[in-house]
Amino acid sequence: MSTQDLPFGLGVSLYSYTEDIGVTMTVEECIEDVADLGATGLEILGEGHIADYPNPSTAWIDAWFARNERLGLTPTLYGSWIDTRRFPGRGLTAAEGAAQLELDLRLASRLGFSFVRPKIGVITGDLQVDPIWQEAVERNLELAGDLGIVICPEIHWPTVIKSPVVEEYLEFKERTGTTQFGLLIDTGVFDVQRYQRRGGSASFRMGDGTARPPEVPFVPIADLAEVMEHTVYFQAKFYEVDDDLTDHYIPWRKILDVALDAGYTGWFSSEYEGHHEPYRAADQLRRQHALLRSLAAERG
Amino acid sequence: MLEEPLIQAAGFRNVGPDAARTGFQLRVRSPYYRGLWGSLIEKPTVTVDGEEFDGDGIRWTLPTGEYSFAELQESVDARWPMDAPAVLTVPKAGGLAPGIHDVTLELRLRMSYIPEELQPSIWTATRKVVIVK
Repeated sequence: MSTQDLPFGLGVSLYSYTEDIGVTMTVEECIEDVADLGATGLEILGEGHIADYPNPSTAWIDAWFARNERLGLTPTLYGSWIDTRRFPGRGLTAAEGAAQLELDLRLASRLGFSFVRPKIGVITGDLQVDPIWQEAVERNLELAGDLGIVICPEIHWPTVIKSPVVEEYLEFKERTGTTQFGLLIDTGVFDVQRYQRRGGSASFRMGDGTARPPEVPFVPIADLAEVMEHTVYFQAKFYEVDDDLTDHYIPWRKILDVALDAGYTGWFSSEYEGHHEPYRAADQLRRQHALLRSLAAERG
Repeated sequence: MLEEPLIQAAGFRNVGPDAARTGFQLRVRSPYYRGLWGSLIEKPTVTVDGEEFDGDGIRWTLPTGEYSFAELQESVDARWPMDAPAVLTVPKAGGLAPGIHDVTLELRLRMSYIPEELQPSIWTATRKVVIVK
């Protein structure tokens, strides 16, 4: 995993193009754009970007490999879901959760990915994950080893680094002794100020009641150093890089310093999550990569 | 390619014989950033010119098949991909009169990774759309 002239890999998640996909760009055109902007890593959402998921045609898979080879792209991370509330009126069983994860691991492997991020359902307001997760993952550790895939749940605000959820993940890793499990850090946890997203094709609300998301403080960068030994992947979440190539929301210099000083040589995979507007992602991704490259160059 | 608004201008039409319309159809782009299992779709509401149509009677046509709402809830392999429209068929004897209609769709999707008290995720889209004939 590398991007030429950088001490880490630079990738892009197709999630970045959410407002464009199916409206202004096809998935294939987004992949072409990832290569055009100079990235070498390609992250997808299995359920979002694979035609006829979970059963893509062999023609689709052949085209996937041919395109990636032509463009010099390496599949990085495959985002998956364990939808614990999938069936109305009852929770998913551990066996069903394991089957979903197995399906995604096998499909990710067929497409050449080396990381799978299962997004696991939660059972409390403070985002405690559904207890079926441990059995669902543990049943798949041997398979993940056979396929050469690391399973990495995402630490994504309002779940923060110092939280019971992360403790649970690290206890699991220690108990099983597995090398096929680690943490994905979403850089949105390090926001230095909140970003107000505008746009969207419809008004949006969460639930019919009066509940509001918990107020959770963002994470001091020092917390990252404490989990670097368990961190296998960074989702380089960002919202906006301005006309002076400055990001006023995510402290990239500090993040790169902590990660690289800890010896991290893996992927930073960009996830644009700014205003809900078409035509923004392609420009913003280029700005962010120019910024990250300039910061890396300053480090020497 | 689809239009950016969730409610598509294309596909908004009456269904059934000319002389005995049985309802109308609405084509909808998914607002979600991934495709999803059909059983994660909760009951929607469609409102046309102030008349509300309950989601129990709305049929869903997805790339994987056609479903009543109850069938969708019980489905194990129905899927709504992010880049394919869902066609909602709404029963209404006589259909809608030709002309411009104010249509509101309340779409409700269940996300397991968000606390239950903040669910479902609800999108409300409104658009003037045209019944040509």
